[in-house]
Amino acid sequence: MIRNVRAAYLMLSPTLVWLLIFLVVPVGMIAVISFTTNLGFGGILYEFSTEAYRLAFSSLYAQAIWQSLWWSIVATVICGVIAYPFAYFIAHAGKWKNLLLLLVMVPFWTNLLIRLYSWIILMNNQGVINNILMKIGIIDEPITMLYTPFAVIIGLVYGFLPFMILPIYASIEQLDKTYLEAAEDLGANPVKTFLTVTLPLTFPGVLSGTIITFVPAVSVFVVTDLLTGGRLLMIGNVIRDAFLVEMNWQLGSAISLLLMILVLISIVVLMKFTSSEDDSSLL
Amino acid sequence: MAKDMVRLENVSKKFGNTYAVEQLNLDIKTGEFLTLLGPSGCGKTTTLRMIAGFEKPNEGNIWINGEKVDKVEPYNREVNTVFQSYSLFPHMTVAENVAFGLKMKKVSKQEIAKRVKEALELVQLANFADRKPKKLSGGQQQRIAIARAIVNNPQVLLLDEPLGALDLKLRKQMQLELKQLQEELGMTFIYVTHDQEEALTMSDRIVIMNQGKIEQMGLPDEIYEKPATKFVADFIGETNLFEGTVMDANPSFATMKCGGRHISIPNTGNFSKNERVYMSIRPEKIHVSAQAGEEDNLLSATLKDEIYIGSVTKIIGEFPDGQKVIAHGSRDILKSCTRGDQLYLHWEPADSVVFEMKEKMEV
Repeated sequence: MIRNVRAAYLMLSPTLVWLLIFLVVPVGMIAVISFTTNLGFGGILYEFSTEAYRLAFSSLYAQAIWQSLWWSIVATVICGVIAYPFAYFIAHAGKWKNLLLLLVMVPFWTNLLIRLYSWIILMNNQGVINNILMKIGIIDEPITMLYTPFAVIIGLVYGFLPFMILPIYASIEQLDKTYLEAAEDLGANPVKTFLTVTLPLTFPGVLSGTIITFVPAVSVFVVTDLLTGGRLLMIGNVIRDAFLVEMNWQLGSAISLLLMILVLISIVVLMKFTSSEDDSSLL
Repeated sequence: MAKDMVRLENVSKKFGNTYAVEQLNLDIKTGEFLTLLGPSGCGKTTTLRMIAGFEKPNEGNIWINGEKVDKVEPYNREVNTVFQSYSLFPHMTVAENVAFGLKMKKVSKQEIAKRVKEALELVQLANFADRKPKKLSGGQQQRIAIARAIVNNPQVLLLDEPLGALDLKLRKQMQLELKQLQEELGMTFIYVTHDQEEALTMSDRIVIMNQGKIEQMGLPDEIYEKPATKFVADFIGETNLFEGTVMDANPSFATMKCGGRHISIPNTGNFSKNERVYMSIRPEKIHVSAQAGEEDNLLSATLKDEIYIGSVTKIIGEFPDGQKVIAHGSRDILKSCTRGDQLYLHWEPADSVVFEMKEKMEV
């Protein structure tokens, strides 16, 4: 028991120092730089300017931001639709549970780059999928899959699916089974039990899965780089290019900051979904 | 005689290689308050869960209201359960919880509203309809769980240690309320508990279970006054258990020898000379005095301790061979006594019960 507030802060100080050095200071620097004047080639003149933000909202960059959001949302929804039945199945797989979980985790141990390269082989015009479809006569000429938003979404879903499966699995696994028995006891058949009890009570898992899938998906740049050869842009690409190619630190900082704010807003909105229920019961 | 509402015939349930319930036969009458009583692991909850349909018996059959329910899923059985942990749905309000069963039965909205209101009034929680269950106290959640079950008007209400999580005072109050409710509704209650006092207070009939089998079935006073086995005598209430050998087994005069003492026992005709037996005598049946009287069956013991427990004083004596004996008496008897003094005990042989000693039974 720590009654002394100063002692408490003292014990927290390593964490606080860590947060200060590696979170507060860098974010502060980004915020400051985004409002400075660009001297070109990475040069920074400490004179107030909103030029970076004007540029960020110009059509090219705004479109990349909009695309990132849209593709990430679509990919997150698809992840959810695939992950829920998958997680439900694992949670009810009995002795196979751990093996199945392992299979979900294994791709994590391989670099995302390598895994995305294998998708190039699959989705190529001369790739595995097109070849098979042509062999069995479903299509006459190859479908272009690479270099399209379709490929981006495939890449995002594939890359981030485990982030969705694991929290949903945890919430299904932790669900008190007596709720299900109570529903059954009160006359709900398995389908109704699922819809009225299981789904609402595991919704927090879906929500945290949504957040930890959406947040990295919206800022990733390797997926667009590899599967569209850089032809399509997401925010991640724009930020990287601003810093490393155009050497426009102000623009990179401004878009980074905008992305952070966007993500923060989406998390707050998502959190409202669950907490609103509990708040109303406080009244 | 009322007809049977629930009937279990040779029902067995195995978990792995061990029997949780073994060859159970039980008839439960319509409108009866029947309690399954026993220590944890005795199979009482498994029995209840088989009636609810959550467990399928390995052998035997179960009938509910004349219908064989082997292939009937829990959601199609005309029984409802009050769970030990209440299991109120946390994402629904109190009213939504109570309405759940009726909604599943596709009862009309007006009818649901009316019956939910009635059920909540019955458990005196009509004002809490719009709250979430988590915001209510344990006792209130308990009542909601009862309302949620009885609103469906089930043929049988199954209660699995429903008062286990409540404090003593609230538990006593709820016991009376539950009993009253059961009489009002005329509903068949099957109640599971390990609390013998609770069972004696509420039940029309008690079934005592041990290791998956029924030890004894009977009215509360029968079970208490005339336990059928050593286990029942030991489990229900407090008792003195003496181990000894039958000395005489005449119709008029039966005695047993126990640690050098000769004790008169009721002769039920079931025992023969030299048979090893247990004898049980309730503490409140033993009369204690400081002076030797004229009574038959008089034993002497030394006073070891006295414990004041309110209504009576528990007198703990010790026979010369070290065997302890507990009797209930008034404090007045002990006024002139101090520890180590001689006490005289006697009881009517008819108040004691004698059991044959089964092999492998622990002392």
